[in-house]
Amino acid sequence: MSNDFSVDGVTAVASDKALHIEDLAKRYPTGVEALRGVSIDIEPGEFYGLLGPNGAGKSTLIHCTTGLAQPTGGTIEVFGHDAIDHYAEARQAVGLAPQEVNLDWFLTVEETLDFHAGYFGMPKRERHERTKELLEIFSLVDKADERTRTLSGGMKRRVILARALMHRPRLLILDEPTAGVDIELRLELWHYVQRINQEGTTILLTTHYLEEAEQLCSKIAFIADGQIAAQGSSRELADRYGVPNLEDAYLALVGRNELSRSKVEGLAS
Amino acid sequence: MSAAQIRFLTLWRREVSRFMKIKKQTLGAPLLETFLYVSVFGAALGSRIKELHGIEYIVFVIPGLIMMAWATNSFANNSSSILQQKFQGAIHDQLSSPASPLELLLAFSLGGFMRGLIVAALTFIVASILVDLPVDHVLVLVPSLFLVGFFFSQLGVLIGVRAEQFDDVAIAQTFVLTPLIFLGGVFYSAALLPQPFQTLTKFDPVYYMISLVRYGFVGYSEVSIPLSLLALTGATAALFAFNLRLFSRGYRLRA
Repeated sequence: MSNDFSVDGVTAVASDKALHIEDLAKRYPTGVEALRGVSIDIEPGEFYGLLGPNGAGKSTLIHCTTGLAQPTGGTIEVFGHDAIDHYAEARQAVGLAPQEVNLDWFLTVEETLDFHAGYFGMPKRERHERTKELLEIFSLVDKADERTRTLSGGMKRRVILARALMHRPRLLILDEPTAGVDIELRLELWHYVQRINQEGTTILLTTHYLEEAEQLCSKIAFIADGQIAAQGSSRELADRYGVPNLEDAYLALVGRNELSRSKVEGLAS
Repeated sequence: MSAAQIRFLTLWRREVSRFMKIKKQTLGAPLLETFLYVSVFGAALGSRIKELHGIEYIVFVIPGLIMMAWATNSFANNSSSILQQKFQGAIHDQLSSPASPLELLLAFSLGGFMRGLIVAALTFIVASILVDLPVDHVLVLVPSLFLVGFFFSQLGVLIGVRAEQFDDVAIAQTFVLTPLIFLGGVFYSAALLPQPFQTLTKFDPVYYMISLVRYGFVGYSEVSIPLSLLALTGATAALFAFNLRLFSRGYRLRA
């Protein structure tokens, strides 16, 4: 499968992977090795989950892909564009909803979306239409003129998601998007990302909610200590660890089998 | 308009929108400060000193005040804006965009440059109403002011990028920038200082900047104008090149 698209008037032919990461390494100046030879391939249109405990390297992998961190080894390609040598084309294709709330306190909700699209070179009229569309989708119309610092936590999370989608990315990266949000927003988000995934957007999701990964992702990778421990469908991962479900597979990964619900429920009875 | 032009204009617009949203603090306060300087030095000291090198004292001081307004506002804007965005994490939105290091650096630089220009222009207008302010050498004045503004914009960017806490910016401003400006001869003529202060002043780069701007307005200078202009151009270019290298390497911006 091959797609043509252009950035700043330069047309490029994309390779067949939405995200191709090979032998990725990241060593911080402090000496911490956050990533140690990570390799993953995400197909266009795939809904890919990345699961692992805190500090496993999920966010570092995302930061390396989006240019917020500089890899110390390996390669990253986004739709065939090297994330270092051809960063403009690679970043143009990516939308990032980060784990931490990183909104600009000085901007209103509408400005946040408008400026973001401007950073990605979107013309004014298109920005205006897209802003209107996303404000409606994320129930932010009433908050459009409010400064982001005055919003509630859930509203801020909505703005972050809308911002990531403003420039119509082909690869959407959601770094723990539902952490700390209410059930209503979580379900709204699930419906929305499933819809855009069906429309062709590739999605990389990190989450600590295993049922979320199980429900949404067609393929899941376990990452621990900066390395990919296993990847496959939810069923394949359970089979690989010889357990009945994804949660138990995860507990096996982190070495906490004793926390399995089957054992806890067994104790209760 | 190309995507790159839209991107650059948006990055710059964001910087301008930041200081325009808090204009009482970013434009009002510096103007009040300049007005106070004019009042104190013009009315109080001016009534006693009368003239310096044949120029009315307040007219001698105003070029330095205009330069100081542009310099301090350019510096303060860029250092604060970058540090605040780093602190909030909001800078990640720009850093993860397709913007090049050059586009990012220029946009951050020109935000402060613009604020300095507005404050300096307002100071000039107010000063022109209050006193008869000549402009003797416009071809020296305009490039000198632009270079001073751009130099301090770059310095603000450098401090903002290096800073890890708000103290870092305050220390640079209070203990480095302010003494250099005040001891550079904004309010007096270095030629009238006793030794060794007269010689020491010549090691202060701001002295040459003030001399250039003062020459542009009133035609008086204690330094070589071509050499000072050349040195200022060289220093600004060197600082810009250094900052561009920092942005390209992602120094304290990208992990």
